[in-house]
Amino acid sequence: MKGRGWVVGIAAAALIPVLGLLLLVLWMGFWQNGPGEPVVYTLGHYRKIFTDPFTYKTFLNTVGFAATAVVVALLFAVPTAWLVERTDLPGKNLILMLVTLGALLPTFFTAMGWVFLLHPRIGIVNRFFIDLFALDHAPLNIASIVGMGWVEGLGLSSIAFIMVVATYRAMDPSLEEAARVHGLGILRTLRYVTLPLTFPGIIAASIYVFTIALSAFEVPAIIGMSNKIFTFSTFIFYKIQPLEELPSYGVAGAVSTVLIILALLLSWSYFGVLRFSHRYAVVTGKAYRPRLIELGRVRWVLAWFFLGFYFVVAKLLPFLLLIWAALLRYFQPPSWAALGQVSLNNFYGLPWKLLLHGAWNTFILMVAVPTLTLVVCLAISWTVLRSGLRWRLIFDAVAFLPHAVPHLILAIAALFATLFLLHNAFSLYGSLTLLIFVYTVSRISFATRIINNSLAQIHPELEEAAFVGGLKLLHVVRKILVPLLKPALVYAWIWMALLCYRELTMASVLVTSQSNVTLPMIVWGLWLGGSLNQAAAANLVVLAFMLPAILLYFIFGRRSRVTEAA
Amino acid sequence: MISIARLEKKFLSGDHAVMALQGIDLEVDRGEFFVLLGPSGSGKTTLLRCVAGLEKPDDGDITLNGRPVFSRSRRLCAAPEEREIGMVFQSYAIWPHLTVAENIGLVLTHGRARLSKKAATERIRESLALVQLENFEDRPARLLSGGQQQRVALARALAVNSALILMDEPLSNLDARLREEVRANIKRLAMQLGSTVLYVTHDQIEAMVLADRIAVMAHGEVLQVGNPFELYRRPANALVAEFFGSINWIGGQMREADCVESEFGRLCIDDARRHDGAVVVGIRPEDVRLERAFNAGENRIEGKVVRSTFLGDQVVTEVKVREKSLIAKSSPDAGHFAELVTVHLPKERLVVFPEQIAPPFV
Repeated sequence: MKGRGWVVGIAAAALIPVLGLLLLVLWMGFWQNGPGEPVVYTLGHYRKIFTDPFTYKTFLNTVGFAATAVVVALLFAVPTAWLVERTDLPGKNLILMLVTLGALLPTFFTAMGWVFLLHPRIGIVNRFFIDLFALDHAPLNIASIVGMGWVEGLGLSSIAFIMVVATYRAMDPSLEEAARVHGLGILRTLRYVTLPLTFPGIIAASIYVFTIALSAFEVPAIIGMSNKIFTFSTFIFYKIQPLEELPSYGVAGAVSTVLIILALLLSWSYFGVLRFSHRYAVVTGKAYRPRLIELGRVRWVLAWFFLGFYFVVAKLLPFLLLIWAALLRYFQPPSWAALGQVSLNNFYGLPWKLLLHGAWNTFILMVAVPTLTLVVCLAISWTVLRSGLRWRLIFDAVAFLPHAVPHLILAIAALFATLFLLHNAFSLYGSLTLLIFVYTVSRISFATRIINNSLAQIHPELEEAAFVGGLKLLHVVRKILVPLLKPALVYAWIWMALLCYRELTMASVLVTSQSNVTLPMIVWGLWLGGSLNQAAAANLVVLAFMLPAILLYFIFGRRSRVTEAA
Repeated sequence: MISIARLEKKFLSGDHAVMALQGIDLEVDRGEFFVLLGPSGSGKTTLLRCVAGLEKPDDGDITLNGRPVFSRSRRLCAAPEEREIGMVFQSYAIWPHLTVAENIGLVLTHGRARLSKKAATERIRESLALVQLENFEDRPARLLSGGQQQRVALARALAVNSALILMDEPLSNLDARLREEVRANIKRLAMQLGSTVLYVTHDQIEAMVLADRIAVMAHGEVLQVGNPFELYRRPANALVAEFFGSINWIGGQMREADCVESEFGRLCIDDARRHDGAVVVGIRPEDVRLERAFNAGENRIEGKVVRSTFLGDQVVTEVKVREKSLIAKSSPDAGHFAELVTVHLPKERLVVFPEQIAPPFV
């Protein structure tokens, strides 16, 4: 095939940086000196982190945080998936829409809302209870491991839901029907057939959610850092952007290496469990939908009460609190007196010039990153599935790495490279190009998986017919593959654009000047600077900027492909 | 045993409704092996699932063993677990997380019967013996072959209730050799246990081997109910005749009783049904007689042999009669036929139907 070299070359060009960044992290952990000095290697950083009790405390914090998130996410995801897939509950489209919206709502956004709700000092719920029962301390504390896990879990519940739904769909419905027909009631069928069969899928979803929470940055950064509660991600961040001492890339590298190993182990077990659960997925000849269980009006009301409670608590309440906070100079619980102070001053006082510049940068990212990612991932998918190359499975494995490796660490490695390795060749430090590059690397896994799934369903003979007809590879890609893959490409493009919009984790490391600032970073900057109410106002402005993109998603990208994102 | 009256069911596909069942009436007697036969999309599986309680009909009544389980007028719809049935699914629906014994035991101890563990063990052994799967109790179900899974599914249905068993194309996922063996087994067990069986298939041979009576279905309607002989020899309409074995069609006009002015000239008919106007006359290939000598006479016409194929147990001959192809099957002993033959269409073998319900390809 003419042109094969080009495609494989593009794929390799995208994947070599992935490996490079990873090796850099490993290398960083053995580097004793600060920047600019001659290189001396040491095991000291590892010795330090393994002997420091603070490391163990952080480890326990992180595990407790991630475990809480898993429990919270599953408590919503499993019952809701069952209601949507197996019962006649009305309003399913509304549920799916709310879940999608929930997945798109930036986590830093809800995290801030929760601070206004449950912070021990200013949170309105705490103030209410303190005043009511004359307590001397706050009953609920969001600035704790369980509190942060709760917020993270609510944020991840959408992804967990999408994964559990996929498990139900992979199951042959006649397995449940056989139980019903032979005399097991709804509850017994659920207990003896449905739950045991979906159990591996639910475990796989738990591991997946746990892996994300383990390296989650936004919630610990918004809620935990100012209260001196660290998880691994904020600990690493603190090491490279400390308030008092000098940055310690060596310690950050060592902790990152440990975290990468943990994440890779979890991903490995995830695939193990997933393979196990696929043994239960029986392919049937018939594609009928299972008979939906009739709940009856009383249980409809109960089910919607549960769902309504979730959506109100997880999404609406934090949102309302942000609006309330944005309208006030100093945060205080709603009252007649407070109502008198409501004004738009926070909005007038926002750094509009910076916001507009940030919006422009964010817009460039939203267009450039998905486009670039799709080009390289199309090349990777083609190399893996069609090239017949002997090393194609290595491409597949490397393309998976950005999923397993925490994005914060990818960003740190890139920052390190621009600071100390490439600074003479290119000046990428503090540039938008650097953001585009790292964002793209981080999305390779996501896009490759979506394109792989779609490409695997396109019969190779469709392309072979074009080759036989004399077309070159480039034309086959443009005239045959891209049109056939279009729904998947459009979906992936829009989804990645939205993820770019809300990206704070990588930006927190890479945005080092006003020239490459993004919208989430401006919000975060205000928050860290202590102007919570201005941050809330900025958040609403950012969300308003995001609305057209969300609209675009619901018009072009939705379909039933939400399930593929998992 | 099963009594179905005016059963209606429609499905919504997109924005238009598809009538899956259009007023079905059926009576299945106790101990009868009753087959629902039809092409895919005919509504036979929907009907079976309505009896099982896995689909909810829109209208009508279903009574099982004298007990109403569905009645629109009485707003009654028993849940699947409340109906006394055993069922074999097309995919077998063997639970992959359980052993063979547990697959049967689960429905015995936690289903309608709530047997004790000891009684359940005894029943499991009996039912596995019926399907010749002794000593398979502790085998994990997902390690079974397709044929073995099929037998476990049968054992499970028999263990729960051998009096009334529903089967949804249970043989369609087996290879041809195994299918014949299992088919014989199912028939033997049903007779031995005196079971009433409602059985869905699209395979005409399977239906004829198994059934006491067959209901031929198409487009959500029952076209005809009868034993295999009646359906083959006295089909109620052209669709049944067409679906039940191959048949030659000859177009014509009927103006008087016992006689059709056909493409082949005047044909005498024994079929007592009288249809005025355009008709089609049908004859099965094995009823078409080919004669070497030229014979004039009733329902005899000259034909030209196009091709003659020897198949071992029969000879299939394609004959051209007045520009129209006719298929004849004859005993191999009759030998091959030369170019010109006399085609004899015996009048007692001809069936006649009004043209409007004839298949489109006549």
